[in-house]
Amino acid sequence: MNYKMHLFVTGKVMIILGSLMAIPIVTGLFYQEADKVFIYIVTALVTILLGILMSIKLPVNSKIFLKDGCVITALSWVVMSVVGCIPFMLTGEIPNFTNALFETVSGFTTTGASILTEVESMSHTSLIWRSLTHWIGGMGVLVFLLAVVPMTGGTNMNLMKAESPGPSVGKLVPKVRATAKALYLIYLALTVIEIIVLICCGMPVFDSFCSAFGTAGTGGFGIKNDSFMSYSSLIQWVVTFFMILFGVNFNFYYLIVTKQIVKGFKMEEVRAYILIILGSVAVITVNIFSLYGNVKDALKHSAFQVATVITTTGFSSADFDTWPTLTKCILVMLMFVGACAGSTGGGIKVSRLIIKLKSFAKEIDSYIHPNNIKTIKMDGKPVDDGMVRSVSAYYFVFLVIFTVSLLIVSIEGHDLVTSFTAVAATINNIGPGLALVGPTANYSFMTGLSKWVLIFDMLAGRLELFPMLIFLYPGTYKKSLRSKISKLVR
Amino acid sequence: MNRSGLTIIIVGAGKVGCTLAVRLTDEGHNIIMIDKSEDRLNDLQKNTDCMILHGSGSSHETLEEAGIADTDLFIAVTDSDELNLLCCTIAKQFNSNIATIARVRDPDYGNEIPYLRSRLAIDMIINPEFEAAACAARLLFLPAAISINTFAHGSAELVRIRLPEDNMLDGKDIAYIGKNITNNMVFVGVERGEEVFIPNGSFVLKGGDVISFVSSRKVCLGFLKAIGYNTKSVRDTLIIGGGKSAFYLADQLIKSGISVKIIEKDPKRCEYLSTMLPKATILNGDGIDSNFLEEAGIEDTDSFVALTGIDEENIMLTLHARNVSNAKVVTKINRITFTQVINSLNLGSVIYPKYITAETIISYVRARQASIGSNVEVMYLLLDGNAEAIEFKVKEESSVTGVPLKDLNIKNNVIISFISHNGKLIIPTGNDVISVGDNVMIVTTQKGFTELQDIMR
Repeated sequence: MNYKMHLFVTGKVMIILGSLMAIPIVTGLFYQEADKVFIYIVTALVTILLGILMSIKLPVNSKIFLKDGCVITALSWVVMSVVGCIPFMLTGEIPNFTNALFETVSGFTTTGASILTEVESMSHTSLIWRSLTHWIGGMGVLVFLLAVVPMTGGTNMNLMKAESPGPSVGKLVPKVRATAKALYLIYLALTVIEIIVLICCGMPVFDSFCSAFGTAGTGGFGIKNDSFMSYSSLIQWVVTFFMILFGVNFNFYYLIVTKQIVKGFKMEEVRAYILIILGSVAVITVNIFSLYGNVKDALKHSAFQVATVITTTGFSSADFDTWPTLTKCILVMLMFVGACAGSTGGGIKVSRLIIKLKSFAKEIDSYIHPNNIKTIKMDGKPVDDGMVRSVSAYYFVFLVIFTVSLLIVSIEGHDLVTSFTAVAATINNIGPGLALVGPTANYSFMTGLSKWVLIFDMLAGRLELFPMLIFLYPGTYKKSLRSKISKLVR
Repeated sequence: MNRSGLTIIIVGAGKVGCTLAVRLTDEGHNIIMIDKSEDRLNDLQKNTDCMILHGSGSSHETLEEAGIADTDLFIAVTDSDELNLLCCTIAKQFNSNIATIARVRDPDYGNEIPYLRSRLAIDMIINPEFEAAACAARLLFLPAAISINTFAHGSAELVRIRLPEDNMLDGKDIAYIGKNITNNMVFVGVERGEEVFIPNGSFVLKGGDVISFVSSRKVCLGFLKAIGYNTKSVRDTLIIGGGKSAFYLADQLIKSGISVKIIEKDPKRCEYLSTMLPKATILNGDGIDSNFLEEAGIEDTDSFVALTGIDEENIMLTLHARNVSNAKVVTKINRITFTQVINSLNLGSVIYPKYITAETIISYVRARQASIGSNVEVMYLLLDGNAEAIEFKVKEESSVTGVPLKDLNIKNNVIISFISHNGKLIIPTGNDVISVGDNVMIVTTQKGFTELQDIMR
């Protein structure tokens, strides 16, 4: 293990995080919230200073193996969450540490599950910081780090591998740094476009920024108690559209920008993603038609809810907890589908589902023709066995974490729907579930234990399970720690 | 030196392909590696910042996906000569501005390389086996040297020797050599244990140092004689392993009158070698058998070259040969990356075909990257990769031409080793001038020079 490098990268992450606090500071100055601004300035300066001290010199050995990548990623995310929750506590808006951490982790992991009962009374400074955590967490802070900090060496890819969503990470261009830059440019451009469109549609400027950050990271923190219910239909449609856009694999946009449009639309994952959305919207529209009485509203609300759940954003334009059971079932199933790999969305990812369905078909085939040799293909290219195996392992690990979490959360004694959807909505980074944690409710009533379990679930879900597990697994450190200690003793 | 890198496609993630990918990435180029084996690609990507593409380098679809239209350079180094040629031809069809490099190793194509190059419009054909053999041959002509690199089409050489413990130069400084032996040479590096120095006049040499210097062959021989080395070429050689490089080496040695014995396991290969090399003695047997080696005359041979396909065998053979004879030993190492261990084994001269190929291609890439003012002719890595020796061809007037060297503001870590003016080798002093048409060789510890102006501060 390369502990020096862990410290170095975490230090850099802290510098970036501290610098990004400039955005709430500027906002606070604009709204003349001097006391809040002061707290943010102090937190930012201390964070940056600590970060500089930690990353003062690049270690001679800057190799990052896969396990280092996983540990660094998990460590940075934990550090980020702790640092990010400090202003909430100091301003007194969320005084309790567990609650503040829950809110921040929910922000960085783009979950959007809140413990706030009264969002509208928060200061503008804290509201924009809360939404900004979505934007930072959406594409990932280490990817940002790779894009802006020149780091040489071929092993940096392991950082990106650990942080990016999806079963495999492809590069857009040969260099990690250029790839990270391209991803962030696309991300930034789409966000800016959304802000402009929202302002043009008549949304207040502050709301536009917060909503765009929430959509871009597929986060889901609203700045209104009723999320999106009180905004105009036009705004709801715009947000629906952008949520779907941010759930698409970013390679698709790269292909479009580089004029390989045909290839872009041939991406199986993107096609499947669109088909699932269209299918679900159609069924739900029919199912809730009687509630709204006209196609326009039913279509609008079903599209908004489907988009918000499949992209794991977690906004709401209607209280879908009151909708028919079939609709609720579809929405819960969509929670487990998730967005595309390589997008800012969470969940298990469409590409894993495709690979799994294909190996399912292959398995059936092997009973009919036992000697049949068939390779699974994706986008016309063979998927190697290692990948198929790792996808199966992913599903199982997911199931284990899910079950254990559900068991612990159910100690509280809430009904099954609440416990089940609370875990599902956090591990898949969606936010609102059903029943007690439905779109109009929040997580504040849960006990400390459940909140800590859900905090772990959110981080594990965002980082695709394994980095968090490797971070916590003692065997990762055992050997090298032991050898370090015995060296010291000698 | 912050030029944006070239985009380079490499087909074949073997030893040479991977070495190239690592080296060229370090030089700041954008590498796209194509290979049919996903495992090899994944291994490569674990430690190299390049893009990988699974597929066949000769399929137009794969090449299009790799972005052949915007690529500057195309390198084909798969196992198959024919595939390499085919890949380059297809690449050229897509993009006529692309420069192509193919590896062609088979002796059957030996005489046809100029024909292939012009007909298939391939910019460069490299033959690592041939280069490795040429390298070994140079060492056998001058057995005192550990390694020899040539510059200015062979008129200058960079020679590396080990000073014996009780040599007359032990305790003398560099200036002493200039005063008493010859001042027609430049010392560019001294390796002492793990340390590496670029010596100045007051640098004191010690027995056991490995010193590198640049001079013409004549001056070099005179110098070596003066400090007590035997400078005669070997008279006979024993080669273990009858592969392609053994063939090329034997061919060159026989042409200069050195008698050659080759030991090869495979009887069919032996027959082939004996038809191709009628003057050589071909022995069919296992080179790893010490009795067989004794019978073949290992104890009396002047030189011993281990060229089998297995690195470990080559190392063992060399250690054995050092043990039982006083022969000059040369070892070929293809794959093993434990450079430190190899250095500590004191194997004498070691040849790394993959590095030779990489050096050749990197000098070509640097030359392409440079503006027209000057061009990299050849580039070698020195002193365990800590320094580079580069020869430039000066093509145009620039800030470095026409000014006496003492008036140029040259970087600290640069030595101008020689200027070749109209074929005459000048070991430069402060009053010498670089003019258009000269070849200039420099040694520097700073990496990545692409043109002569880079030596300026």
